Amino acid sequence: MSQLPFLVGAGVFLVAIIATATYFLVRARRAARTSWMAILAKLQRIDRDKFATVALDLLEERENQPQLEPAVIFDMIGGMEGLGALEQNCDVLIDLAAYVQKWYPEALEIANELRLNSREIKWHIGRLRGASQTGHLYEQFPQYAQRAVATYYLMTRSLLVLYEGGRVPGFAELQQAI
Amino acid sequence: MHLTGIDLLLWALTLLEHIVLLAVLIFRHRARRFPAFTALIATNVFRTIVLYFTLRHAGAEAYFYTYWSFAFLDIALQFVIVYELVTHVFRPVGAWDSDVRRIFLWLSGASLLVASLLTWLDTPATRSLRATVVMKGEFFSSALMAELFVIMLALSFTMGFPWRTHVARITQGFGVYSIFGILTNGAHSYFGTASNTHTYSVVSHIRISLYCVCVAYWIFGLAKEEPENRQMPEQLRLELRDLQRRTAMLLQSLRGSGRA
Repeated sequence: MSQLPFLVGAGVFLVAIIATATYFLVRARRAARTSWMAILAKLQRIDRDKFATVALDLLEERENQPQLEPAVIFDMIGGMEGLGALEQNCDVLIDLAAYVQKWYPEALEIANELRLNSREIKWHIGRLRGASQTGHLYEQFPQYAQRAVATYYLMTRSLLVLYEGGRVPGFAELQQAI
Repeated sequence: MHLTGIDLLLWALTLLEHIVLLAVLIFRHRARRFPAFTALIATNVFRTIVLYFTLRHAGAEAYFYTYWSFAFLDIALQFVIVYELVTHVFRPVGAWDSDVRRIFLWLSGASLLVASLLTWLDTPATRSLRATVVMKGEFFSSALMAELFVIMLALSFTMGFPWRTHVARITQGFGVYSIFGILTNGAHSYFGTASNTHTYSVVSHIRISLYCVCVAYWIFGLAKEEPENRQMPEQLRLELRDLQRRTAMLLQSLRGSGRA
């Protein structure tokens, strides 16, 4: 009887260890079999030109040109729906960068950078979701959404440089997609 | 201590396998990438020979102390091997990702607590304090190793770190052996040695047999070549570094500014 707590604890522990290991092994196998095209196919459709315009409006110094109006930014991005697509695309961009590690382990640094950028974008979008619940979405949208889009734009540039410079297969399709 | 036919067979088999594995590590040049793992295998070859002659010529008491001296060294080397494998997986280009390091350290600390708690609950039926310490120590080591390998697996998948073939083989072998070790060491604790040692011996034979399977796996896995990594062109490396620097500056300026 005195061994009962140990047996129960060890039993639960063993099952948890085996279950966790099995879960991640199965997921890793599944991910390894996922083709590059299948990863690319997960990208949500966004209007690249409009997003680039919104991003460059913030990133480029344009002393003489007027900045985009908040209402225009909202329409060009597509509101919270557009940002939702952007948010999902961040994870795909990270997967596309991580894919390059098969050939170049140093691509890990790019994947890590994109991971940090993605976290920042999700933080901005999180703020906006909070603002939409309190009825302040319209005022806060330009500030956070434009930063999120600008960060996303920079992520796509990094990825394209990596694929083009590394002569990674799929560069043409990637360029079309993002 | 009387050695049965199975004891001698397993002893000879592990010695032979360790010698073959050591030869693979040295002559296939794996020792350079995995010095700690090589040290463990070399130690095991030496240990097997020393223990055999100690038992034959110096008796059970001397054997016990020699066995446990090597066992402590073995456990210490296993922890060094965990670090060696962790650096291969999470530092492939020489630098830690700060997030990964922080998460790994936290999870390792939690693993230590869990293994310690389970070991504290363990009350094996033995005839001496020495035997109790032995059994609890073995269980603690298996539990902690199993946790660390599962953490490596989970974290590398979640954070997108790929595994090179040889690193994966070594980790898989240790992982399976450690997880199985929880079962066998748990059985040792449950059955104890107070009433009889027959069950202890049977469980030990099963454990050593599995270890032989793991060593065979390492021999075949490490003998084969793994795919070569490409070197990133210098031009691309410079271009990416420059782009990362400009991106960081731009993002920093975005964080600092406010848009009315």
